Amino acid sequence: MPGRNRSDDSGVSRRDMMRLGAGGLGFGLFGGVGPVPFVFSQASRATSATLSNKILVVFEWFGGNDGLNTIVPYGDAMYYKHRPTIGIKEKDLLKIDAQFGWHKSMRGMKTLYDEGKVAIVQGVGYDRPSFSHFTSMSFWHTAAPNSGNEYGWIGRTASALDPAGARPNMIVNISDSQTLAVKAEKHVPLVFTDPAKFQRDVFAQEKRVVDVLPAQETPVGDAHKYVLEVTRSAAQASEVVRAAWSRYTGRNNPDLRLLDLDKVAALIEADFPTKLYYVPLRGSLFDTHVNQASPHDRQLEYCSDAIAGFFQEMHRIGRADDVVMYVHSEFGRRVPENTSLGTDHGTAQVNFVIGNAVKGGLYGKAPSLSNLVLGDNLESTVDFRQVYATLIQGWLDADAASVLGQRFDTLPMFRV
Amino acid sequence: MATRTRWSPGPATWKDDLSPLPAGEWNYDRAAHLLAHAGFGGTPSEIEKVMAAGLDGAVRSLVHYERIPNPRMQPFVESGLWDPTLDRFPDSRPEATDRASKDGASMGVDTKPQGNRPMQPVSDRFFYWLRATMLETRRLGYWWANRMLQTTHPVEQKMALLWHGHFATHENKVRDYRKMMQQIDLFEKEATGNVRELTIKVAQNPAMLYFLDAQYNVKGAPNENFAREVMELFTMGVGNYSEQDVREGARAFTGWYFDDLTFKVDPGKHDSGPKTFLGRTGNFDGVDVVKIIFDQPATAEFLAGKIYRFLVRDELSPDLRRRLGAVLRDNHYEIKPLLSAIFSSKDFYSQATYGGHIKGPVEHMVAMMKHLGAEAIPGVPDFNQSTIAMGQHLLNPPSVAGWAGGKAWITPGLLIARGNIARDVLIPDMTGFRDWNFTAGSDDVLGRRLRDGLDIGAATAVTDPSKMSTFDLVALERDELFNTRISGYIGWEQAARKLVPTPRQAAQFDLTRMVIDSGATTTAEAIDYLTWRMLRVPPAKPTRDAFVTFLTGELGTDRLDRAKTYMEDALRMTVHLVMSTPEYQIV
Repeated sequence: MPGRNRSDDSGVSRRDMMRLGAGGLGFGLFGGVGPVPFVFSQASRATSATLSNKILVVFEWFGGNDGLNTIVPYGDAMYYKHRPTIGIKEKDLLKIDAQFGWHKSMRGMKTLYDEGKVAIVQGVGYDRPSFSHFTSMSFWHTAAPNSGNEYGWIGRTASALDPAGARPNMIVNISDSQTLAVKAEKHVPLVFTDPAKFQRDVFAQEKRVVDVLPAQETPVGDAHKYVLEVTRSAAQASEVVRAAWSRYTGRNNPDLRLLDLDKVAALIEADFPTKLYYVPLRGSLFDTHVNQASPHDRQLEYCSDAIAGFFQEMHRIGRADDVVMYVHSEFGRRVPENTSLGTDHGTAQVNFVIGNAVKGGLYGKAPSLSNLVLGDNLESTVDFRQVYATLIQGWLDADAASVLGQRFDTLPMFRV
Repeated sequence: MATRTRWSPGPATWKDDLSPLPAGEWNYDRAAHLLAHAGFGGTPSEIEKVMAAGLDGAVRSLVHYERIPNPRMQPFVESGLWDPTLDRFPDSRPEATDRASKDGASMGVDTKPQGNRPMQPVSDRFFYWLRATMLETRRLGYWWANRMLQTTHPVEQKMALLWHGHFATHENKVRDYRKMMQQIDLFEKEATGNVRELTIKVAQNPAMLYFLDAQYNVKGAPNENFAREVMELFTMGVGNYSEQDVREGARAFTGWYFDDLTFKVDPGKHDSGPKTFLGRTGNFDGVDVVKIIFDQPATAEFLAGKIYRFLVRDELSPDLRRRLGAVLRDNHYEIKPLLSAIFSSKDFYSQATYGGHIKGPVEHMVAMMKHLGAEAIPGVPDFNQSTIAMGQHLLNPPSVAGWAGGKAWITPGLLIARGNIARDVLIPDMTGFRDWNFTAGSDDVLGRRLRDGLDIGAATAVTDPSKMSTFDLVALERDELFNTRISGYIGWEQAARKLVPTPRQAAQFDLTRMVIDSGATTTAEAIDYLTWRMLRVPPAKPTRDAFVTFLTGELGTDRLDRAKTYMEDALRMTVHLVMSTPEYQIV
């Protein structure tokens, strides 16, 4: 396990925060808002001790990112044949080798790559791919392509790590609505976007009544049960999230702020017990059917800067060895450009796995640009569940086969 | 005073039973249940009217509302922000300035012949319209929400809201409030008409055509975006068509475009050749394709299920969905017979449906006004900021799939926001309120700097460049043709100068009178009345008792006649708590 490099100057407050974060259970139904009861902080520390410090952050790029214009196969003449107008010129690329180059906007990621911290996985997809954003993403969320599962792959990973569901705030989802990937059997994911607004505004007199709001013990139905559970979890979580946020020292970094990665950094700095963070990037900005160059250039730049900034934060906080980030979309795009100077929905995509623990380099086999399948599409060479298995088994030390329902070959991308 | 029937869900055995509710089962509570699901809830006097009409009469007048006078519906008052130079508005700022480099002008504005930032007026003009249409759309959303509250046709408004989320487009991309207004109008007019006709009209609606890139779908180079979403999200759902159908369908829609607010077909760009679509072959156009889609049983089931989940409850069995689909199909896609069947059925009044629906944020806001007896949605807090905080920005659904609805409306963050908005409505922060429309977002600092005499370069400089992203640095290069950051601010100012102001009045209601008129004499009776009036699902005993203790403590007595001269704010705090309960979020 990578060692933790912590600075001493803030050690004390960090320990306090650990109690605060891990002891979310302390804010019980009738417990009132006060110091964490001793019994809870002991219990949660004991729970934490059984799990490693390793954290996985999933950064989801919704919309269908154009992998061929992200990691550009400039050495293949077919690329420019398929993309005479929107193909990115060799002189504009940040070159990896004689075959591939990073999109010109991705200086931040290129720097991390040059430091040996980025695994690029090409050709990632699945059999019988869906061309629907929502269907394909639901396959990725459940890790059940052309099938289904009630729980998400992150939710199931949480169950594998902590079968009793004892660890509070195991999963954090920075999102307006809960992402299917985090839906879990035992763990209630902590879902929010703005920590500053994640607070019940009440007058002093009202405070003691607030705890009694979710008092109903026999819900009238499923919807009622759900709202009751969320009410209880919200009461516990808002206090600790806001405390973490108000103490976070890297708050004004614009690169991070833009894409919500600053919230993840804040909770990590506060030693939250969370092992699984899920950050979906919304707004379909990667859905580049029309005049793709300008929005795609900008979007990649934002994302790449945010990721580089996030790892600078992890380094500052002393957790860079403990954190791995995974980036994926729901599909790549069609190989030939369309007549609107854009690209339509496609199949295989490029994924990134980033962190100090990662052995940087190219993984997977880049799909052929000559033998296209399913109407001008890339044939995938890596099942996305191989990447999931790699993260679950190789990084989080959990049993991937139990999470994914079958065994997948992993990619040797972690330093031992 | 209203007859206070107890909460009376029908037995569990009524679930999935579409046979009509027996007349003897009709009562005040069932009428309240009907109004809460079919519309936005009701005041006690509205509920009594519905009860008095009997089940058949109530369903008939709710569904066949056309002849019922609707005196409070007023047209939207436009600010006059648009002019014809804004037609064919550029898709992006680079496109706006590229046009200006080529033609010396863009959007009716010339570039400067000399001097620094010669393209600044063009960049300003681009941002003017972005801000103008964004702000006017917010006014439009507020106006629409007031229609939902003030209408005498609640089913019409509820269904219009459904169609907006179903045939979802957002102003963020459409960038023209006039096209969004045209859509609201379409969804109201066709709210309970024929869903096949509605789908054809949506396919020919300028906002939708723009939203799904129809203008790029031309003969020889079909763009699949529109054809795919029509089948996947609007009519059949995935699994009922092939990729081949998407491609062939796209060909049928080629040449469909719009000229400003009018649908057009360009015969030169339409592919009139034969297509094979869902197993049929012919020289189909878009209307033919929609008709073929509506010949599929999958379409009726998909749409009936969507309507049911929006109005009734989240979960429905495949069998019920199939039977509801048959009702829709047997009635040739007329919506009214389906609605009547749903609202009259035992299933609708069964235990499963009572408390089975989580209110959406806009629905929630309108229902709050009904419960408070307020006749208009307040200006403080701001309607849009409030519903955005709760997860729904009217006229800006998050994607073409609309809002997920159901449990997706509730997360820890969104749930807390609901309670906070309830407080803002009940005890508004009048002296701390700032009109969002006049804030320029985070750019207001630029205005202060310019007015302090700083030049554009200095005003847009950031105090600590080490904290800027690469993108910010690029945007701030000094020797420039234009400065987009300042345009963002100037555009907002120019739009705000013309914008019709939103009245900033608090919600008008009187809880003291409401409680006294109910006949309550003690704090316990007041709590029982307020929770009965506002909650469809009764509160837990400890919650109810805590409310009574709270109110008694705040009033210094449990006797209302002793406290009636000063009890308004304590009642408002109490209702804030009532509206923060888990039970208040569901009907």
